[in-house]
Amino acid sequence: MKNRLHAVLLFLCLICISCSPKSDDGEDPRVTSMGRFEITAQLLEIPEPFPDIPLYDYAYVLKYKVLTVHRGALDADVLYVAHYNPLKPRDQVADVRSGDIGGNLKKIKAGGVHRMALDEPIDDFYMGGIINKYFEQETGPIYWALWTNQVIQ
Amino acid sequence: MRMNNERLVKTMNHSIRITVFGSLIMIAGLCAASSLRAAQDSPQDGAAALIQEIKSKGWILYCARSDNGSWDLFASRPDGSHKRNITNTPDFEEAAPLLSHDNQKLLFRRLPKGATIDHDLWGFQGRLIVADADGSNPRALGEDKEFPWASWSPDGRRIACLDRKGIHIVDVQSRQTIRSLPRKGIYQQLFWSPDGKWFTGTGNHAGAQWSVVRMDALTGELNPIVTFQSCTPDWRPDSNRIIFSSRPANQSPTNSYGWTQLYIADGDGQNMQLIYGEDGFHIYGGVLSPDGAYALFTKCTADGGGAEEAGAPMCIMRMSDAPVIAGPSPFLEPKYPGANSGPVAPLTGGWEPIWTYAELFSE
Repeated sequence: MKNRLHAVLLFLCLICISCSPKSDDGEDPRVTSMGRFEITAQLLEIPEPFPDIPLYDYAYVLKYKVLTVHRGALDADVLYVAHYNPLKPRDQVADVRSGDIGGNLKKIKAGGVHRMALDEPIDDFYMGGIINKYFEQETGPIYWALWTNQVIQ
Repeated sequence: MRMNNERLVKTMNHSIRITVFGSLIMIAGLCAASSLRAAQDSPQDGAAALIQEIKSKGWILYCARSDNGSWDLFASRPDGSHKRNITNTPDFEEAAPLLSHDNQKLLFRRLPKGATIDHDLWGFQGRLIVADADGSNPRALGEDKEFPWASWSPDGRRIACLDRKGIHIVDVQSRQTIRSLPRKGIYQQLFWSPDGKWFTGTGNHAGAQWSVVRMDALTGELNPIVTFQSCTPDWRPDSNRIIFSSRPANQSPTNSYGWTQLYIADGDGQNMQLIYGEDGFHIYGGVLSPDGAYALFTKCTADGGGAEEAGAPMCIMRMSDAPVIAGPSPFLEPKYPGANSGPVAPLTGGWEPIWTYAELFSE
């Protein structure tokens, strides 16, 4: 009886392990090579719902807590990163205005951890509308998200 | 006494008859005058009078679909008469004419056949073409996507262009960049003022996109005109005021995000005034006549001004009639209680029109 119970518990544990998402550090050839900076960071908040007007393209500035700096000289705990057309999956977002951007992140959610290739100043990479709800705060440079992958911890 | 009474009654009847007859004539006269005035004030008659007023005031130039479906440049009298295709290039799409201030040269963009004109990105698209003012002698000034958002200097010898790296003053003859300055958030629709002292454009300002701004062409100092949902700015001929499209927040919920109206404001952003609004339409491409007396614009049911399709109906109104609110507007009417309902002269379909009083063509 006891052995049977152990077997059932073991079986359940195996199911749980196999069903849980595999950890993924978000590394791929693009994120490790694009731009001058590469970080893993957690999105702290989304200040307000992203505008949903398909006729108009825009970039939205988001606030991140830096977890790891993989490339580039960055000495900041918090970074402000602009994502282009944030309602779109990153692998479908690139167009004429944005240039070469992408990643595997499907949906931008507060609390999410992202591995990103970045560069700045944003004006050198992007020419279009920017919504920056942190404008009146001291943000330092706004970084342009070139490649954004999901990180599963 | 009886005789006297009969005469008195007779005289009274006669007087009553005369009074009634006179009153009827007066009433008929008043009615006739009233209906005549109503007829003169009707939108149709007002528009007809406006058309008569403007029909010989130079030429308007615009882009539109030609009979073969491609975009060409057209010219017509401001009443729409004497329309002519001035480029007639079925193998290209041509758009966005811009006359030099001396009315000698024309800039426009030439795209590959079948290319879609993007209502926001058109200044980056295709090759910049410079031609004589009547569209003859077209020649490419650069390669594809070069010299984006080009607009004329006052003397027509230079153009200002806008790209990611900044605003660049380019000598047309040598094609060399003479001077550059930071764009400070401006991202499209750059226009150099007729006096050469300013730029206006659409950009980011104070965290807000779709702001219309003015920049000192010498120092690069920038001031906002309006910082909410605005675009397509252009100059009044005196370089003191800027005409632009704007879509205020919290309009009547007749569509998902409101309608776009035409406004004008001083160069420092003060004295913003409505020119034209009409619920159900987005008003874009606003320009003023060379004397500033008339506004020319497009009205489109779809946002974006119709560049991706076949443009939109163009309209002309007197600035002295502004503000004009055409049709019912629960949002605009309380804000502009003294607004007129017209008159507005309707024209053919087009996109990004301009107006010159120069006699570029013979009838």
